[in-house]
Amino acid sequence: MNIKRFRGLVAALFAAATVVAPGASVASADTELTFWSWRTEDKAFYESQIKLFEAKNPGISVKFTPYLNTEYNAIVSTALTAGKGPDIIQMRPYGGMANLSDAGNFLALSTSDVPALKKLPAGILAGAQGYKDKKQYGLPYAVSALGVMYNPEILDKAGVRALPQTWSQMLAAFDKVKKAGFLPIGNAGGNGPALEQLHATVGPTFYGGTSFFNDVVAGKKTFTDKGYVASLKAVADLAKYMPANYQGIDYNTARGLFANEKAAFYIGGNYEIGYFRSLNPSITIGWFPAPKANAGAKRYVGTWADGAYAINAKTANKAAALKFLNFLGTKDFGQALVDEIAFIPTAPYVKINDPAVKEINRWRTTLGTPFLNVVGFRYENPTSSSILQPGFQKLIVGGTTPEQLAKDVQTAVSSWYGPQKGKS
Amino acid sequence: MKLLRSKIFFQGVLIINSIMVLLPVFFLLNSSLRESNDFASTPFALARDPYWENYSKVWSEGSFGSYFFNSLIITGGSLILILILALGAGFVLGRYQFKGNNLIFGFILTGMLVPAKLAILPLFIQLKWMGLLDSRLGLILVYTSAALPAAVFIMSGFFRSLPNDLDNAARIDGASEIVLLRRVLVPLVRPGMAIVAIYSAIPIWNDFFLPLVFLQTPEKKTLMQGLTVFFGQYASQWGVLFAGLCLAALPLVVLYLVLSEQFIKGLTAGAVKG
Amino acid sequence: MSSALRREQNRTTGALLIPALLVIIIFTTIPALTTLSYAFFAWDGFQRGSFNGLENFQKLFAYPYSDQLFAALKHNTIAFVVIMTFQTSLGLLFAYAMFRIKRGLRLYRVVVFLPVIFSLVVVGYLWQALLDPFYGPVNQIITGIGLPEFAKPWLGDTATALPTLMFINLWRWVGFPAIVFLAGLNAINTEYIEAARIDGASEGQIFRRIIFPLLAPSLTIITVLTFIGAYEWFDLPFVLGGSNGSPAGATDTLALMFYRLSFGSIDSGANNVGVGSALGVLIFTLVGLGAAFGSKMLRKREVEQ
Repeated sequence: MNIKRFRGLVAALFAAATVVAPGASVASADTELTFWSWRTEDKAFYESQIKLFEAKNPGISVKFTPYLNTEYNAIVSTALTAGKGPDIIQMRPYGGMANLSDAGNFLALSTSDVPALKKLPAGILAGAQGYKDKKQYGLPYAVSALGVMYNPEILDKAGVRALPQTWSQMLAAFDKVKKAGFLPIGNAGGNGPALEQLHATVGPTFYGGTSFFNDVVAGKKTFTDKGYVASLKAVADLAKYMPANYQGIDYNTARGLFANEKAAFYIGGNYEIGYFRSLNPSITIGWFPAPKANAGAKRYVGTWADGAYAINAKTANKAAALKFLNFLGTKDFGQALVDEIAFIPTAPYVKINDPAVKEINRWRTTLGTPFLNVVGFRYENPTSSSILQPGFQKLIVGGTTPEQLAKDVQTAVSSWYGPQKGKS
Repeated sequence: MKLLRSKIFFQGVLIINSIMVLLPVFFLLNSSLRESNDFASTPFALARDPYWENYSKVWSEGSFGSYFFNSLIITGGSLILILILALGAGFVLGRYQFKGNNLIFGFILTGMLVPAKLAILPLFIQLKWMGLLDSRLGLILVYTSAALPAAVFIMSGFFRSLPNDLDNAARIDGASEIVLLRRVLVPLVRPGMAIVAIYSAIPIWNDFFLPLVFLQTPEKKTLMQGLTVFFGQYASQWGVLFAGLCLAALPLVVLYLVLSEQFIKGLTAGAVKG
Repeated sequence: MSSALRREQNRTTGALLIPALLVIIIFTTIPALTTLSYAFFAWDGFQRGSFNGLENFQKLFAYPYSDQLFAALKHNTIAFVVIMTFQTSLGLLFAYAMFRIKRGLRLYRVVVFLPVIFSLVVVGYLWQALLDPFYGPVNQIITGIGLPEFAKPWLGDTATALPTLMFINLWRWVGFPAIVFLAGLNAINTEYIEAARIDGASEGQIFRRIIFPLLAPSLTIITVLTFIGAYEWFDLPFVLGGSNGSPAGATDTLALMFYRLSFGSIDSGANNVGVGSALGVLIFTLVGLGAAFGSKMLRKREVEQ
């Protein structure tokens, strides 16, 4: 390439860059709100809802931008730390973004600004509060519930007539399904967080649910408690019902096994239902709460507020942002959330039509117990999850023991969590 | 060592390697032309009846056109800056003897050790302070800085390998240093420029992390950045995913095919002497 | 050298060198030094707290970080040794093969280098699909040729995950050393080789005594670049195993651990910028020392030539 041509190219490229660049700076009389999210899969849903909002609020437009979920925390925290973020932020629950709340990045919300907050129960509100100042920084939009999903047609073919009530009944049902030539569960080991959710589903009945949660949080009991060790062992016991080569099966393949009607059960959260249906719209999905450990134990449904909407403390469009936040708190929006993406809305006044979601929500309200790691121990590093996720992957292939894993969690948490300090 | 005499052995090695490379690539192309739903059950089936809708879906839904353009501007702009700066610095460090030459060369090489990810947080705050956040120019400068050390390393090697008589002849003819560089030396190090271009373009074109962090305005998004979001959206539609992957890989393949003669010549010019 | 020429050269030096230096200082050196300074402070999320000396380093070398640190360091080291051995020798083999043949050379030169220009996103998704334990073609082929016991969950088994990653890395990168060695081979004066042939030397002797020593500079470049690449290995493990080095940390690397500590992980919560930066200091020192040692060898070779 000769230099003259080279120079021409430089000039042309820079000219092109400057011609394109000013596009964003052309000011309009209208307010444009920016809204970031990690839910790439819900893009169409949010865009259709935003259209409704814009129709009702002329002069305000909203730009929805989803990011890759694995990069979302890095993107949001760098942007906010440098004082340049969107107006509205989809906020991860509990410890997921509490460090950003504590650093004053989000606008504290009052019930007069956002009346929808008044209708939410305290346990849900806690999902979007600062860890230190306990102020309300976000409007939680959905709750998640953990349980056992099943395929009634496969159970029928395998001759499983009654839904299992106890752990041993469930394992017996798995054996029956296996004998009939189906996969008992789609769950697999390729994804650490999915195993953690599996544990949060079947574990609470072993460790004693909410009362154990309160005791660990208060420092009265530790993770080395016998019940907690038993709950870890329960996960190890499920390994033999997982598909062949389970340790290498990634999250999407595992869910695909249930969605494509190869596996009879899938243990996990209600939020999987939307994905199952997107893969196989004709699938029938039943749901029951995790069985009790033994005849004397109690059943629990793990639950937590799964995300919230927050406002950037440095927004230049506070009034418009609040308007949009209130729109996200309306009954209509909550209704769409459950009807279109099968989330359980936080707002108690939303009517749930989906039979599976309805059933889940009924059990959740009676048997709910907080997701131990998410609600309690994700506020500082090393979090309990950061030990358990790889820990479960080792556990199901025999690479560690439940006792050792429990000890590891205790050591990690007691290194930063006040009430557990010095305990082992 | 008899093997080393036989051309058939070498042909065999290269043919096996070509199969190893081309089979997955064929799988990629083939899958991009199939309807998503039957992928899972029959991953091998040939796309006898190409399903071009995957490509039109990628192009229309992902605003790929504008991503594509942004990536071209950013990669192209960075390449031009890298080439100009590396030519200058490579010339000075490769051909002039002066005190501090080795020291400066060593300093530039330390830049090869620092991945941009390691310094993302301060870099972000600094770009904001300089008014270069959410700007293509800011990204171009960061990429240029990241690629320059290796580029200077390669260019100075090329300049060093040219005989000194060239300079002296040009100087006797009355050429200034800049004219010497432009008229005499640049044409001779063109192969080196091709290496720098390809070696720098690969990571810049393919990077999605820095644009994710540094560019907020959706209109400025790059292709790889757009692609990662697009993958989330179409997680279960294999055909569409593969079509997106093929489209994203295409520009560099074309660039390489266009430059490969120069590139190979550059490498074979014996300049990789370090 | 005349003083007029010297003055002109000084001016040229300034005009041509300073812009490049400025760009590097502003956009690489300063941010890197700032990151390193973070290691000596207490951090609360992204808020910098008070100076705390070496506390972050002490934490880095205590449970649970120490376990992760040494596991990651081990993986990086394995990656360096294995990649160095296999990728480099295969690269050399391909280069020598291309050097010795004529037919199909143009095609091979393009094909060998093709995977190098693919994006890691492309390579990652492609191999994830190929290696899927259920639907993946690789296991179907293995089962098809009658070896079902070798149809493993390649990326999910703690025993095979790291080797599989290194294989994919090899698939993607082997073209790079191949092309560099080919360049080195083509630069060798063929008269030496012809003369040796006439003297009756075998091809093996020619390779060992003439060709290989002359390839030493290329080998040093490859070694240094491989060293830096292996100890800063991030993209491929991240795309295939996530920031936690799934499964069970079997593919964890120093750079992944740094990323996790700096930004937190989506599925497991809070970050720790202080300990992360301490790790950054460690990575930088390690790679810096290794590369400095390597470049020294490189310069020494240059003198010998």
